Amino acid sequence: MSRVYWLSLEQRDLAGSSGGAQPEFLEAAAGDPSRRDFLKLVGFSVAGAAAASCSPAPVRQEIPYVAQPEGIVPGDAVSYATTCGGCTAGCGLLVKTRDGRPIKVEGCPDHPISAGGVCSVGQAALLGLYDNLRFRSPSLGGAQTSWPEIDTALMARFDAIRQAGGAVRVLTPTVHSPTLRRGIAAFLASFGDGEHVEYDALSASAVLDAHEATHGVRAFPRYFFDRAEVVVSFDADFLGTWVSPAEYTRGYALRRRPEGGSARGWHAQIESRVSLAGGKADRRIALPPDEIAALAFDVAAIVEQGSGGSGLASELAQRLMAAPGRSIVLSGLQDLPAQVACNRINAALGNYGRTLDIAQPSNQRRGSDRAVARLLDDAAAGRIAALLVWHTNPVFDLPGGSAVSKVPLLVSLAERPDETSAAAHAVCPDHHAFESWADAEPVAGSYGLTQPLVRPLGDTRAFLETLAAWSGAPRPALDQVRETWRDTVCPVDHRGSDFEQFWAESVQTGYAAGDALAPAEVRARSAAELDAALMARPAVSADAIRLTLYHKPAILGGEHAYNPMLQELPDPISKVVWDNYACLGPTLAARLQLATGGVARIGTAAASLELPVLVQPGQDEQTVAIALGYGGQITERFQGFGHHWFRSRPTVGPNGRVGLNAAPLIVPDRGLLRRHAADVQIAAAGRTQPLACTQEHHTLSVPANLSFGPPAPRPIVQEISTAALAAAAPEADGGEAGAHAGGDLWAAHPMPGHRWGMAVDVDACTGCGACVVGCQVENNIPVVGKDEVGRNREMHWLRIDRYYMEDESGLHVANQPMFCQHCEHAPCETVCPVLATVHSSEGLNQQIYNRCVGTRYCANNCPYKVRRFNWFAYDHGEGTEQLASNPDVTIRSRGVMEKCTMCVQRIQEGKIAAKRRGEPLRDGEIQTACQQSCPAHAIVFGDLNDPSSEVSRLSGGRRAYKVLEELQVKPAVSYLKIVRDARPAATATEIAHHG
Amino acid sequence: MRHRVTTIFLLVAIAFTGSLLLVRAKGTHLPGNHQGYEPVQPIAYSHRLHAGELQIQCLYCHSNADKSRHAGVPAAATCMNCHRFITAPLGAVRAEEELAKAEGRPVRPVVSPELRKLYDALGLDASLQRDPARTPRAIAWTRVHSLPDFVYFDHRAHVGGGVTCQTCHGPVETMERVRQVSDLSMGWCVNCHRAGGANVAAPTRPLAPSSDCSTCHY
Repeated sequence: MSRVYWLSLEQRDLAGSSGGAQPEFLEAAAGDPSRRDFLKLVGFSVAGAAAASCSPAPVRQEIPYVAQPEGIVPGDAVSYATTCGGCTAGCGLLVKTRDGRPIKVEGCPDHPISAGGVCSVGQAALLGLYDNLRFRSPSLGGAQTSWPEIDTALMARFDAIRQAGGAVRVLTPTVHSPTLRRGIAAFLASFGDGEHVEYDALSASAVLDAHEATHGVRAFPRYFFDRAEVVVSFDADFLGTWVSPAEYTRGYALRRRPEGGSARGWHAQIESRVSLAGGKADRRIALPPDEIAALAFDVAAIVEQGSGGSGLASELAQRLMAAPGRSIVLSGLQDLPAQVACNRINAALGNYGRTLDIAQPSNQRRGSDRAVARLLDDAAAGRIAALLVWHTNPVFDLPGGSAVSKVPLLVSLAERPDETSAAAHAVCPDHHAFESWADAEPVAGSYGLTQPLVRPLGDTRAFLETLAAWSGAPRPALDQVRETWRDTVCPVDHRGSDFEQFWAESVQTGYAAGDALAPAEVRARSAAELDAALMARPAVSADAIRLTLYHKPAILGGEHAYNPMLQELPDPISKVVWDNYACLGPTLAARLQLATGGVARIGTAAASLELPVLVQPGQDEQTVAIALGYGGQITERFQGFGHHWFRSRPTVGPNGRVGLNAAPLIVPDRGLLRRHAADVQIAAAGRTQPLACTQEHHTLSVPANLSFGPPAPRPIVQEISTAALAAAAPEADGGEAGAHAGGDLWAAHPMPGHRWGMAVDVDACTGCGACVVGCQVENNIPVVGKDEVGRNREMHWLRIDRYYMEDESGLHVANQPMFCQHCEHAPCETVCPVLATVHSSEGLNQQIYNRCVGTRYCANNCPYKVRRFNWFAYDHGEGTEQLASNPDVTIRSRGVMEKCTMCVQRIQEGKIAAKRRGEPLRDGEIQTACQQSCPAHAIVFGDLNDPSSEVSRLSGGRRAYKVLEELQVKPAVSYLKIVRDARPAATATEIAHHG
Repeated sequence: MRHRVTTIFLLVAIAFTGSLLLVRAKGTHLPGNHQGYEPVQPIAYSHRLHAGELQIQCLYCHSNADKSRHAGVPAAATCMNCHRFITAPLGAVRAEEELAKAEGRPVRPVVSPELRKLYDALGLDASLQRDPARTPRAIAWTRVHSLPDFVYFDHRAHVGGGVTCQTCHGPVETMERVRQVSDLSMGWCVNCHRAGGANVAAPTRPLAPSSDCSTCHY
């Protein structure tokens, strides 16, 4: 079976040529200067250089502390353990602070939930902290005010409501912080009619509702992917956006690691679009959303009967029934019958209590679509006297959410201006998660602590303190958290009963794992006990075009859409930045005569949108997919974003925002906010809107003008079957992969001490992009804007190349993190006329910024296309935003080439620390930024001269290979082959019959 | 004739300008080289007195030099370890004592004007007690040794290896006001690194300084 990996449909259809791939430097981008322009530029440059060299050196000041705090050494970084506030997953963080300011978010390796993984949103949270456009003070009726004044004004209003018996609601996303739950309850208790309403923009309300129906508890199960041999996901992107991706990715990667020893998991993904999880699946089936629901129902029927059925449902059921108690069935559909079907399968297979736990459930999703729908109805009918909105934006992300503006007293506790705060009567800004004390209980019995890492940058106040003040008993957040931990957490923790000691340890580790909780008795109801409506096979509307609304891993529900790093992180599948769009399958697009970049009008009964189209291979041909979370007011800040020069195009769309808000297309349906719809009208709008897509930038394919005849596809992504892997000699000879028997053309570089290298597991990588953002934050890599990305000028040192491969088991996606390979015989080094890029004695390919004159020869000669050129002095933020820069890494100026350094600043730090200890470096002591945060542990850095290091072991292992090994440039980075399950799969005809 | 006069005049002018430039060139450095920089500091602190005469160790005040990349300037509170008791030069105190004796009055506390600046920064009153009306304000010293952009220097690695402070900073213990002695150029750094630690008099561990670019440039 020939396995051809391709980047885009154009590339595939041109059969291996570099068709569609763009040259690294676009000629048109350089402009077309006339002689006159050239002379002008020369004159300006000379004058500028002369003027610059005349300025005297600035007088710098050195300002010490008045009294140096104990334990603080200026210039030395300290890490504090805390809990991420980016979403409700509650991952553990170690935040590196230096001289009193946080500079890097890392994963807490011992954390019981995330175990060292952090997603891109968590990594980029630093920019949220230093955001210049955060609210800096409270405001009342649009006018700035002070906390005492706003407290007086609002408490008078609350008193009036109390006397009148009015209804007060607190609207939040899932709150699993025990202290905050107490705070909200205490505040609401003083009202006759007070209610706390939780809803999630990334709602999983259907899962909770289904468990209420099948198990009698409205709870979200905790999934243990590391225990699951078979995973069948009905449209749940659990590796990308669904509920707790970092936690799930870790478990999933652990199970599938071929070196892990246990049986490699098998994963089937049934989905309408291409998701991260779908890309990794052994078996991927594209179906419209309603047919997925019907399929889940069919599988449930077969599993419950123990046999029968046919086609796809039978195949999936067979796989599942072969792994009772060792499988997980899950669904991301907001559809009750589909979720009930999943619960029935899990119950019939005995998975509850083994691979998923409902007795000690997860608290990561508690939101109720039904409750928020009722709230909106009440608000529209004028039955609510006061509404407090914290960390959510109902006006933006709920259909009909603008009803909240009818509430007579709408109080927003947002961090930065959004649609809801614009409609609010009072804005009482909350601290950033890095500025306040708080806690979390993401999984029942597992607690996290959030501690302040920096003094609040503005006149903001923690929500906990605001609630306490309005309850009439103002108390610092720290006291409140300590009280909760003394009352509820310390007694269940196994570390002993001395609270002060327990507290000190918890602050140090950032979590407390109380496993002493007795699990509740939860029993699955039998099919006979269930409501007949839930047991009906979902209806399928054949031949209609369906719509599915999804979330992107970096943007999620839009709360972080203000963050330029997240906007410029390429979508893991489409590789498009700074936009949302309508994904269509190739056949559907051809039928509608739409191509990528053409604008389509997409309408449902509720609303219609005009969005550019993206032709997405592997997508179901009857379904249009649109990302939510775009088009928010908070993206208006990007109107002037990017470098302004004479032909630049704005980063925002025609509406002045990034993308369009697809929330009006969400279908409120029997108490659920359904993210899929049938009967969608779609037509070409007759105009185009270009998308900035990094898919074909910096490709490794041979350029057409350099190849002799049609070039053969290069073996950039390689795979190995499970059988071949088992047959290969275990850890053959320890020799490094790609060590050619033939002689070298070049003399070897002596590397007597360390020889730094990396191993990247392409099989484990999900493409989530956490490493890309981690690298960007660590190395001060600028965000350049949509226009520059459209000119191939994105600056990411680490990119994730996404390749497609189609075989009889569906479309597969390979994600290959690609960054400087630190070749021993680096082609870039030989062409640099000024020796700005040379080899170090430790195997690093060094880039010396102050020597670089910007010829770009090196980038031209790099076979991996990993070098990035500073076309402009790119923006590194203003005001407080500059504090997010890493002081250990130079900010590169215009005209300088840059690329991955293997985090040389961390290598230096680690070496100096080891020298000071007087010990040799330990393996794993130095971690690169990309390695540290990878939830799948797909990246390993270390010393190749140390035969016992993990990187040596992996580089000499059975799966190791070097990309473009035939060039004999001897990269220091090894890749580990993708493992493909050789077990037989259903034939293609069977799939076609089912659809 | 007129042409010859013009030529002579021009030659003299060129010679004059040239000699003037030559004289100036002696004190001129390449851009970025601040050798000899000796800025006036907010407090006339004397390294000659403290480090030279009184023999206070460098690391007593610059206590981060072996712990951090920055040697750092001491916090104002560090000065108070001694200057809580020593408020003026010995001569001034003696003179006041004698004067008081002669005038038959109690000795008044003598505070030198330079130390007064320190006490002001710490928000202390005349009797060196914390004055709640004043907010302590850090002293903004003028930085003498600045490295250019794109280069990182780590004090830990050098101090820990046994490089004396004077190797780079010159005889600070003889300076009334600190002056940049070395030119801090790359050649100056690399010469030492190439010598492989041979010029470190008392190394505390086997030294193997690297001459890789990325040792300092990243």
